[in-house]
Amino acid sequence: MTLVECPRERDVLDAVAAARWPHRVDRELSDHVNSCAICRDVVAVATLISADHDDAWREAAIPSSGQAWGRAEMRARQEAIRDASRPIALAQGVAAVSILMLGVVGTWFAWPSVRDDVRSFASSLAPALDSSLAFPLLVALVALAVIAPVALYLVIAED
Amino acid sequence: MTTEGRGRLPEKYDETMFSRDLTVTEIERLDRIAAEAVETLQMNEDAFRSFYDRTARSVWAYLARVTGDRALADDLLQETYYRFLRADRAFDSDAHRRHYLFRIATNLARDRHRAGGAAVHVPISDDQGGHALVDGHDLVSDTQRRTDLARAMSQISTRDRQLLWLAYAQGSSHEEISEMLGLRKGSIKILLFRARRRLAAALRALGGVDR
Repeated sequence: MTLVECPRERDVLDAVAAARWPHRVDRELSDHVNSCAICRDVVAVATLISADHDDAWREAAIPSSGQAWGRAEMRARQEAIRDASRPIALAQGVAAVSILMLGVVGTWFAWPSVRDDVRSFASSLAPALDSSLAFPLLVALVALAVIAPVALYLVIAED
Repeated sequence: MTTEGRGRLPEKYDETMFSRDLTVTEIERLDRIAAEAVETLQMNEDAFRSFYDRTARSVWAYLARVTGDRALADDLLQETYYRFLRADRAFDSDAHRRHYLFRIATNLARDRHRAGGAAVHVPISDDQGGHALVDGHDLVSDTQRRTDLARAMSQISTRDRQLLWLAYAQGSSHEEISEMLGLRKGSIKILLFRARRRLAAALRALGGVDR
């Protein structure tokens, strides 16, 4: 069974943390490290990482706490506003598409000339609109009516 | 953007998020919602600033060494504190709060790594020469030490780097590490042993430590 821990590990770590390793530790600990694979690894890793920690501490050019707070506060406000404005945008999208559809239906019934024009146009397309295409086209139109408000909402939400 | 009968959003808000005019009522409502959002943050300004001043350097150092990218560490530092402030959690002690902060930083670094973000590179301090002179260290050996460690760190996993940094740079206990990394306390000992062995082997291969 592989040993993963040495009872002297803490002593070694304390010596490294206090910058006593390797010159200001007693001979007994030094001899132990030379004979213990675990403590040798601890020394190798801990001395380098500890020194690197000091370097990183000096390198850190962090924003001031006031700047960090200001940015966080601003972002919290903006996210709250964005979330709150989504339902409004959705309602506007649905309303716009509904008005458009009502306009089309109203035009259809209010102006017979428009209806006749559309019918004559449709009859000119009759060969293409045979029975095999009629159903898919109907499905596509219904899907468009459903998808349009959602797409509009997504566009507005992206903005 | 504004028209008669409509209002302008206060300047503190980003108007680019709106593609239309808003009514005064809507602005007032959004203003109220924004103010409430700030009230729901984890801390008030004074408490946050005190906590940040105590912890930010440690968090930055952790992020910089775990990701190997100082610019990324700058970004993740801001994100870490923002997510901390937005967290809907109660903390029973400052240590618990601090551990949670590092947990957020750990998750962000891990997510960035999974997303193929930063590749660990060798960090070279802009002002290392100055430090070497001030501290009386040998500049060449200091640079070599840093380079060897960074190269060896780049050869081990993100989790290994996290474990080793928390244990040997911050001196965290196994229990603290388990909280910060979201790992079982009982597994820390063996994970740390393996991580240490891998890093030591990488350092020896680079000639960074005596064989």
